[in-house]
Amino acid sequence: MMGLALDRRNLLLLPALLVLLLLFLGPMAYFFVASFFKVSLFNLVPTWNLGNYQKVAGEYGLPIAYTMGISALIALIATVLGYIVAHVIWRNPGRWGAFLLGATLLTLFGGYLVKIFAWKTILGREGIINNTLLALGLADQPVEILLYSPFAVVLVLVSYLLPFTILPLYGALRAIEPTTLDAARDLGASPARMLWDAILPRCIPAMLTAFSLSFLVSAGDYVTPRLVGGTRSLMMGNFIESQFGLRMNIPLGAAMTYSTMVTSLAIIIVVWLVLRAALRPK
Amino acid sequence: MIALARHGLNLAAGLALLFMLAPLLLVVVFSFGSSDVMTFPIPGLTVDWYRKLFARTEFWGALRSTAIVSLSVALAATVIGSMAAVVISRMRPKPAAASTLLFGLPMMMPPLVLALALLSAFAVAGVKLSLLTVILAHLTFTMPFVILIVAARLRDFDYTVLDSARDLGASPLTTFLTVTFPIIRPTLLGAALMSMALSLDDFVITFFMLGGGNTLPTLVWGMLRTGLDPSINALGTLILAFTLGTSAIALWLTRFRG
Repeated sequence: MMGLALDRRNLLLLPALLVLLLLFLGPMAYFFVASFFKVSLFNLVPTWNLGNYQKVAGEYGLPIAYTMGISALIALIATVLGYIVAHVIWRNPGRWGAFLLGATLLTLFGGYLVKIFAWKTILGREGIINNTLLALGLADQPVEILLYSPFAVVLVLVSYLLPFTILPLYGALRAIEPTTLDAARDLGASPARMLWDAILPRCIPAMLTAFSLSFLVSAGDYVTPRLVGGTRSLMMGNFIESQFGLRMNIPLGAAMTYSTMVTSLAIIIVVWLVLRAALRPK
Repeated sequence: MIALARHGLNLAAGLALLFMLAPLLLVVVFSFGSSDVMTFPIPGLTVDWYRKLFARTEFWGALRSTAIVSLSVALAATVIGSMAAVVISRMRPKPAAASTLLFGLPMMMPPLVLALALLSAFAVAGVKLSLLTVILAHLTFTMPFVILIVAARLRDFDYTVLDSARDLGASPLTTFLTVTFPIIRPTLLGAALMSMALSLDDFVITFFMLGGGNTLPTLVWGMLRTGLDPSINALGTLILAFTLGTSAIALWLTRFRG
């Protein structure tokens, strides 16, 4: 038997390991260490202290809570809607399902900024919705709440994240063995019972993937709130980003980033526990 | 009752589809609309917005930078990722899953976090920001996709054809060039195009890693901040055509189905 470490073939892994180490794990570790440093006259001072975290806890408690709340809402809507689409694709192997799947795959990679911009033109004061409403006489004046509101942030991010939630859920549905469903049907389970007891429990890992992905992307986003959220719906991403412009306060920015990530992780774990408790395979 | 529920589901899926596609369709439609206010009905068709866009000098600079970045990223990510995939595809299931997860970590990180960690690390290491730092940063989140796609293909690879080639006296290099490579070429090309699409679409990381100048997404950002000029629609349509085109070919080549 040849030892894994001795096989010369394993050298092929080296470049990828270097990329991971030097461009990801190393920077992330340094970023963490820097969150305990201080900044003085725009220079990093390596004196260990918890000042940045105290500042985050004192000043950014509310923005973190708001970010977590709105991200959880976005992730929830995206996961539920994503499940519905995945379910329809799964149950319709014909053209309709293929069309839905194709459209989902196509929108997956295309135009993050372009999509946000498009929503801006749809929702704006002189946007498509308002102009149509006015032209049809359904409104006397433009509806202002559409753009520059938390509503717009939720709408735009759900639209952007839907393809990312549909694909893992569809993958999980496709992996369910038909015999499982036949057995449930033969035993007299109603469609609702089958969904709850046989189908959904088998989608728990995919649901968690879909939820976590959309939650993390939302919690770390600063472009959407900046472009369509208005001044009252700034999220943690905006506050973090603002530490890196002219101010360049890396330690505080890093502490804000790690606080947000740890809180996000805690919420994802809670969601996982809830999902596991609510949906037991029967 | 059940039929009603099914119609309801189909309707919901249709609306969700519209919700995903509508913004993209509108950008394309309005890029050819002759009015500079974006409303229906469109008074007429024109290519003026494209003409206006092409007349900007910064467009050509941004296009050049985007081409350099996305092509370099595609090449580097595919070579490095595929080499890793060769090793991972030969591991036992458990270490293979663990490696895929480890290499996949950057893919799960919000782009802002990745960008800021790299920015801080480059600052302390004294690395000057340039197109090179953009390329290096893009490598971190495109490489996991290449590893996933190529390792999946290599797991189904029929290794007996390699043994035949070797038995017939081909050197390892000849075997690779004449047997292995032609067989996995569509997958490699697909993985390269997928990394290219991901790189093309990235704004957040590029924005922080780019010292000066523009790529196409940062140009969109600049135009967005100076007002809603309809030539953004033309630029948006071009970016969409690039990313959707490359990713559509990539999906077809790799037969990637979610």
